[in-house]
Amino acid sequence: MAANFGKLLALFSDANVEIVVIGGVAMNAQGSAYVTFDLDVCYKHTKENIARMCDALAPHQPRLRGAPENLPFRLDADTVKRGLNFTLITSLGDLDLLGEVTGIGSYDAVLQTSELREIDGKEYPVLSLTGLIQSKRAAGRKKDLNALPELEALRDLKERMGRKE
Amino acid sequence: MTSAEHDRAIALIANPPAGSKLAAAKEYGVDLTLLVENLRLTTTERLRKLQSAAEFLEKVRHSVPQVR
Repeated sequence: MAANFGKLLALFSDANVEIVVIGGVAMNAQGSAYVTFDLDVCYKHTKENIARMCDALAPHQPRLRGAPENLPFRLDADTVKRGLNFTLITSLGDLDLLGEVTGIGSYDAVLQTSELREIDGKEYPVLSLTGLIQSKRAAGRKKDLNALPELEALRDLKERMGRKE
Repeated sequence: MTSAEHDRAIALIANPPAGSKLAAAKEYGVDLTLLVENLRLTTTERLRKLQSAAEFLEKVRHSVPQVR
């Protein structure tokens, strides 16, 4: 099922979870025509933020994606604190929680490379085109490298048009 | 994006400057017209468009008959 991007983002916003929107949704927010089915976010890896994030997600039955059905898993603060990246299925769709972004670093560095964007009346930090290009280049997988010409063209077009967003 | 800005963007993608990233993307096969249309939208509108595309593609994916 395609993630409900708006509801997942509102969930984080309402619970004051510190995240930066990254991945395909950030690409779209910046003007890309790439289609994605999941929401990727980089979260602040602090005890308080992790607790808020786990509490917000708990009613939406988060479980590990691609793991055996009978594998015991509970998304709680201790589990997240001990780990870093989690690929989840929730009742609102697929959600990837990343503690750091390849080529950029952890939440603080990702936040520095983000821009505030208004989505459904709320403001969210969204990874900038420059940040997206940097991370895709560093990740270096075929799918990441394939996204580069479009992202670089978008940045070129915006610069030539004198647009910030 | 004003109508004049849109016309300028269309002119840019029709004849991207030689050696530019726009020219490279066009050569690579990127549909630059989609980018211009997306830049006319607000961020909320872009994400609604993504939501709609993702839901539609998912329906298509699940409607493909199983090969026997």
